[in-house]
Amino acid sequence: MRHARVIFDGRELDIDIDTDVNNRDRITTTDGEVLNVALDSDAITWLPPVKEPGTIFALGINYADHASELAFEPPKEPLIFIKHANCLTGHKQVSYRPDNIDYQHYECELVAVIGKTGKNIKREDALEYVAGYTVCNDFAIRDYLENYYRPNLRVKSRDSLLPMGPWIVDTADIPDANALRLTTTVNGKVTQDGSTKDMIFDVPFVIEYLSKIMTLNPGDMICTGTPHGIVDCQPGDTIVCAIEDICSLETRMVSEQEYYGDKY
Amino acid sequence: MTTNTLVNSKLVCVALNDKAQLAALESTFNEAPYKKPPTQPVLYYKPRNTWNLNGAEIEWAKDFDGNDVPAMVVGASLGVVIGKETCRVSVDEALDYVAGYTIVGDFSLPEESYYRPDIKGKCLDGSAPVGPEIVAADKIANPDALSVCINVNGEQKSVFELANMERSVAELISIISRIMTLQPGEIIAVGFAGERVAVAKGDKVEASIEGVGTLTNTLGGA
Repeated sequence: MRHARVIFDGRELDIDIDTDVNNRDRITTTDGEVLNVALDSDAITWLPPVKEPGTIFALGINYADHASELAFEPPKEPLIFIKHANCLTGHKQVSYRPDNIDYQHYECELVAVIGKTGKNIKREDALEYVAGYTVCNDFAIRDYLENYYRPNLRVKSRDSLLPMGPWIVDTADIPDANALRLTTTVNGKVTQDGSTKDMIFDVPFVIEYLSKIMTLNPGDMICTGTPHGIVDCQPGDTIVCAIEDICSLETRMVSEQEYYGDKY
Repeated sequence: MTTNTLVNSKLVCVALNDKAQLAALESTFNEAPYKKPPTQPVLYYKPRNTWNLNGAEIEWAKDFDGNDVPAMVVGASLGVVIGKETCRVSVDEALDYVAGYTIVGDFSLPEESYYRPDIKGKCLDGSAPVGPEIVAADKIANPDALSVCINVNGEQKSVFELANMERSVAELISIISRIMTLQPGEIIAVGFAGERVAVAKGDKVEASIEGVGTLTNTLGGA
């Protein structure tokens, strides 16, 4: 089963998506109403899939190949930074490129959504605390990197630069989250083609690690890092981050002025 | 998680905003891994699991083997409470977006490095008491003229004059609002004395700012 939040017919709805015996998608609201609309319809506005977003944890340099690309030694313990809901936006929404920068790239990532409160969780029990998986694009602006709490908030905490969704797939439906193909296309051209098998610290490891420090709560999210294959993105580009069996997340880049409009 | 916290959705803290601390660390910051001093405010979050209340007992942290950590420290800051949506505001108008002021305590492991986000040190459950209340903005004529005092077991351990901040309250609001749109009830802890105060199990910690109040917490584990 998949779960999402949408605006449809002017209503904000929590929806479940399953497939019938003929392998057709069936959309049902949490009130039991069946929505007669295709998932790729423009009549659906996709919201970030976690209804009450909590703390967003994101991993840096968590793929062996990405670590070598960036000229870093692979880390001995996870590099984790925190983001908040101001970064979130949904599928088929826009993200902005700040003015006067040289290098902004996407990062296609598997996201584990926490479904249950826990502290000191053992690796072997960790997936009991995961409600499901989704996809995010954890954009970064390399121009703004400084060596203080790196990656610093100016790089990683900007409005709209964490598209997520379109939906969350139940944990039970993904037998092995570390055997999934992960791809990104920019304007239809494949620029990133990796696999979650190359992740250095997997979701159970990170849950054990974080929960030794702090309590994890429902609505918290863990974005697990990105593999090799990052390129600069410009206003007008359409970026699609996809993970096999989870979902495919489309984002259109706009300029800072277009994004902020009157507030620019 | 504390449900009746004074914080709504986000607590942003500013590290390295004490001019004296920046001066003392200047040579360190010209070496690896930093290579050069920061050009921007150094920010970190205290996430929602850390939010706590005036009067609460602060848990003594455990290490990864489940043993009590050898040392904890505390810093205290003026907490600037955002009153309305704050997006890309100028320094001149920044204070118009403030609803009020409070005190933020930041209990943590000792600050050993500023290179990587300090999740282990800063994200401990209940380690960010905020209070005792929110004082309306119009009661504080000039937030940059306040001073933050920390007493441990009745003895004064630290005084930080906000006039010695590298960046003022208005400058910080303006800069941060160009990274992220701030929402009502979100709080910025604008600056801590560079020298954090060592605490022991059972200590009573009082952080006070004249006109804002006194935030009192006790360390657990005694």
